[in-house]
Amino acid sequence: MAKNYIKYHKKSDVGPNQRLRRRTVLLILLILVAGFGAVISRLAYLQLVDGTYLQEKAVEQQLTDTTINAKRGTIYDTNGKVLAQSASVWKVVLAPAYFTSEEQRVEVAKDLASILELDEKNVYEKTQQKSYYVIVKRKIESDTREEIIKLQDKIEEKYGISNLVQLLDDYKRYYPYNDLASSVIGFTGSDDQGLEGVEYQYDSYLTGTPGRIITAQNANGTDMPFQYEQNVEAEDGNSIYLTIDETIQSICEKYMKQGLEDNAVKNRGVCIAMDVDTGAVLACVTVGGYDLNNPYKLPEETQKEIDALPEDKQEAATGEALSQMWRNKAISDTYYPGSVFKMVTASMALNEGVVDDNTTFFCSGSMTVADAKPIHCHVTSGHGTQNFTQAICNSCNPAFIQIGQLVGIDKYQQYYQGFGFSEKTGIDLPGESEDIFFDHEMTSVDLAVASFGQGIAITPIQMITASAAVANGGYLVQPYVVRQIVNSEGNVIQNTENKIKRQVISKEVSDKMNEILEYNTTTAGANSGYIAGYRVAGKTGTSEKLTSTYGSEDYIASFCGYAPADDPKIAMLVFFDTPTGASYYGSQVSSPVFINIMSEVLPYLQVQAEYTNDEMQYVDTVAGAYVGLSVNEAEQKANEAGFTVTVKGEGEKVTSQIPGVSAKIPNGGNVVLYTDGSSDEEKVTVPDLVGYSISEVNAIASNSGVNASIANAGSSDVVSVSQDIEPGKEVKPGTVITVKFATSQTLND
Amino acid sequence: MTSYQEMFLKADINRIYDEKYRENQRVKSQERFVRSGNKKIKAKRKKSWFVKGMGIDLPFCLIILVLLIIGMIMMFSASYPVAYYTMDDSYYYLKRQLIFAVIGVAVMLGLSFFNYNKLHKIAPFVLGVSYAALVLVLILPANNGVHRWIGIGTFGIQASEITKFAIVLFFAHWGSKYYNKMELAKYSILPGVIIFGTTAILLILEPHYSCTAIVFVLTVLMLFISGMKMKYIAIGGAAIVAAILLLWITGGLTYAMTRMDGWGQALIYTNEQMWQDTWQTRNSLYAIGSGGLWGLGLGQSRQKYLYLPEPQNDFVFAIVCEELGLIGAVIILLIFALLVWRGITLSLRAKDKFGKLLGIGLTAQIGLQVILNILVITDWMPNTGISLPFFSYGGSSLIMLLAQMGLVLSISRTANIEKQ
Repeated sequence: MAKNYIKYHKKSDVGPNQRLRRRTVLLILLILVAGFGAVISRLAYLQLVDGTYLQEKAVEQQLTDTTINAKRGTIYDTNGKVLAQSASVWKVVLAPAYFTSEEQRVEVAKDLASILELDEKNVYEKTQQKSYYVIVKRKIESDTREEIIKLQDKIEEKYGISNLVQLLDDYKRYYPYNDLASSVIGFTGSDDQGLEGVEYQYDSYLTGTPGRIITAQNANGTDMPFQYEQNVEAEDGNSIYLTIDETIQSICEKYMKQGLEDNAVKNRGVCIAMDVDTGAVLACVTVGGYDLNNPYKLPEETQKEIDALPEDKQEAATGEALSQMWRNKAISDTYYPGSVFKMVTASMALNEGVVDDNTTFFCSGSMTVADAKPIHCHVTSGHGTQNFTQAICNSCNPAFIQIGQLVGIDKYQQYYQGFGFSEKTGIDLPGESEDIFFDHEMTSVDLAVASFGQGIAITPIQMITASAAVANGGYLVQPYVVRQIVNSEGNVIQNTENKIKRQVISKEVSDKMNEILEYNTTTAGANSGYIAGYRVAGKTGTSEKLTSTYGSEDYIASFCGYAPADDPKIAMLVFFDTPTGASYYGSQVSSPVFINIMSEVLPYLQVQAEYTNDEMQYVDTVAGAYVGLSVNEAEQKANEAGFTVTVKGEGEKVTSQIPGVSAKIPNGGNVVLYTDGSSDEEKVTVPDLVGYSISEVNAIASNSGVNASIANAGSSDVVSVSQDIEPGKEVKPGTVITVKFATSQTLND
Repeated sequence: MTSYQEMFLKADINRIYDEKYRENQRVKSQERFVRSGNKKIKAKRKKSWFVKGMGIDLPFCLIILVLLIIGMIMMFSASYPVAYYTMDDSYYYLKRQLIFAVIGVAVMLGLSFFNYNKLHKIAPFVLGVSYAALVLVLILPANNGVHRWIGIGTFGIQASEITKFAIVLFFAHWGSKYYNKMELAKYSILPGVIIFGTTAILLILEPHYSCTAIVFVLTVLMLFISGMKMKYIAIGGAAIVAAILLLWITGGLTYAMTRMDGWGQALIYTNEQMWQDTWQTRNSLYAIGSGGLWGLGLGQSRQKYLYLPEPQNDFVFAIVCEELGLIGAVIILLIFALLVWRGITLSLRAKDKFGKLLGIGLTAQIGLQVILNILVITDWMPNTGISLPFFSYGGSSLIMLLAQMGLVLSISRTANIEKQ
């Protein structure tokens, strides 16, 4: 047996010690070659093969990318007045994941709520989230920011947490003129994105490019001790210059508001002023606008109505009311243009040569087309026989039905398209509507009503663009509100070029129309757009509404005109939707507003007034500055301006004057110059000035030692209806009393 | 013939062969000595470059000190941001580790004078102490959901540190005592199964899976060098491989990986829970990958800025890889390899079997922990808490480690003497 064992062991040649030795060698191999080998190859794989990927991922988490908001561009009016501007504010962000105790949450929530004037419970709920970014409040101002910084220090000191409450840069949009041109400018949302108007339409230009700060940070979000920072500057947004002129816009809004009140207008009104040659919109008013700084605040009345609704319906009603309030009526609403459209029909007929000065039209008071019921004229007895100009001035519907028939259905449609009614004008504002033409093949009855602007619904912007074409020699322009875009350094990056779409009518026809429409304003009655000293062309319109909301007789009162008639510069459309006051006629509701606006806008545009002798007697002049001058000098200066002078007192120098500097007084009015305090107590009694003609009013006022300023005198054929200072009142000599005039005769429309 | 008789016969033959082998070696060595030209054989001492007399093995000692110093520097580099942010003192971990290192080195040098043979007899008692410690931690309140620490004053020690040492010590004792009977299952498999089994149950109760794995490998390792039949190892190995394959095929492996805190899935997390669970491992991989070949430079790690949690502990080597790159990592691993090599080869020359087995076991344990640690930080093993010797922060484990090295040094004193 033993031999076998020896033999066996000889073969293997392994003794017990060798066994240990061999196995140890095996162990060393296992540990060092297999074990360390595997480990080193694993490391080599991770560091060399996967290294780039892993490093990218590591860097990704180590670098914090902070976005710097770009400052939104400014919106200016055409003269560089700021209409919308962004200012630095801050947002308060909470990182509740850093809280370590309930006590901290309660306390910080309490502090934040009191500083930011928020509900403590809401803030406390935010502290419960497991997040590093919870917005507590946006757009806080610098004084609140100071308090938050104090709170940050307090938290740091008390709990040793540094990034719990953070302040991030933000911008707030300010609109210095509040509700001015609200429907054009629009407003921005909470993320600084444009929501309406130019803010929306030109959002990509205004927004700019946000910048980034990339820093190396540790896992807690504080900067690492080594420097790694890369800044990509934010590129501020471009600024925009509008064609809107703040002065003109303000004038328009002032009188539109007044018109809205005076006529108890139910459904807002629109006023658009346009440069007839370029299509630049100088003013665009949707009266009853909203405060751009607070665009979600409804008018009180509307809010009350909504509050009265059941709760579940309030939200929908509020949304509806807001979108209604924000709606730019000038481009989004359609209406029947009514008689204003007659200037278009007339232009077609002249351009086609189907009428001339000698063409006559007969009006019996109504007219029947095809088998339809008779169409009545507003003068039920009829206008009798009229020539072309008279037909326009009479605004005679039967005459225009005949003119329409002369033009014909095909040509009418062709011109309708030519004047741009069948397409959007392409104005650079959001929400433009299309017209509503007849939904069937146009019939002779359709043609009849369309001739005087019924049955075809168009937008106000289409109407004024067409009237500009009538005025400017026949060129249909594309209206626009943005004149120029400049970048943040002030370099111009885009200029709006005038775009003329086509010539619709010839220059001769345009000139003829200007002549006729000017004649219309001077002859058709006091309230047809006549302004003393200026040559205005225009047409009134009163149209029935498509649908009746407020009663069986809902009308739109409008006036569309332009000036000066011999070289038109500015066209203006005024329309009120559903006036419910004393009158709903365009001539009564819209013309006075048009006249008031134009009377201020034309001098502003430096259109020289040229008065006829007849006009001179009721045209106001501005009183000069006489205080400080010697009595002689003052007298001379006042006389040169065409005033009579009364000197009160014994002094050598003028110490005060009535009327004051720049007050409007009639030509030839009386200026009272005071040279000392002795005559201060002297008073005169205000006379009764109602019920007289212009010259009579002037005479009475002059005799009483006061001045009368003549208002609303469309022509000499008027009677005074009111005065702003009541008769019998004691006033200082020379005081200006504004006397309103009105015509007694019923007006054509 | 009974197996008993057979065994004695076998032992006899072994002895004969051993003597023949020793004789052979002696002759060879003397021939070498004569060839070297020195005719005077003054002492019965093997020639050594480093050691005179009964001295400790200087190269081994130097390697330990080098690793200790490099480890200290890297632990400091890895720990100072976290120390700064959480302790308000960048030197917090360095200061403590330095104190432990000084104590540890003193213990190491002290123990190098200790006659390790005294442990031979008390090995079963030490094993008993380790069991007692394992039971004690289960009674003590849990810390972070696990029962691992026994507090002694302000410092604590992990019961498993004692266990690892006790296992090596006991099997060195057992293996040397029954060296010639180790081929029998009764002397190898049986004690292995009993001791590992009972220890494993206690460790799993803690729970401490990584230590369970280390104890398992140490048990097998000790039995293997003691002479357990290769057959059993082959069968055991095959069974483990088969089990893994089976799990892999049935998809159970992925499930197990997901359950084990997303092991192996640090970069392919699919939900937030996994993302959270694998946070440490993922950031370890980011750190390692960021190092590339040359590293970001000493002190330049970015991942240690609170991205990699507890960079001073188990994951310190990830920061080493980030700062020193593959080059630095490989150099450090080579030093570790040198330590293992030197430790094992010197132990082989120990004058008795107990010393040989103990020295090999203690040294191999270090190599094993290095490998397992790096497998963990590279996401090839579940993240279960295996520290890197000399590098990871931890007072008790460092002292324990250096004490064990002291024992190896003590063994080395006998290794360089020419044995009679």
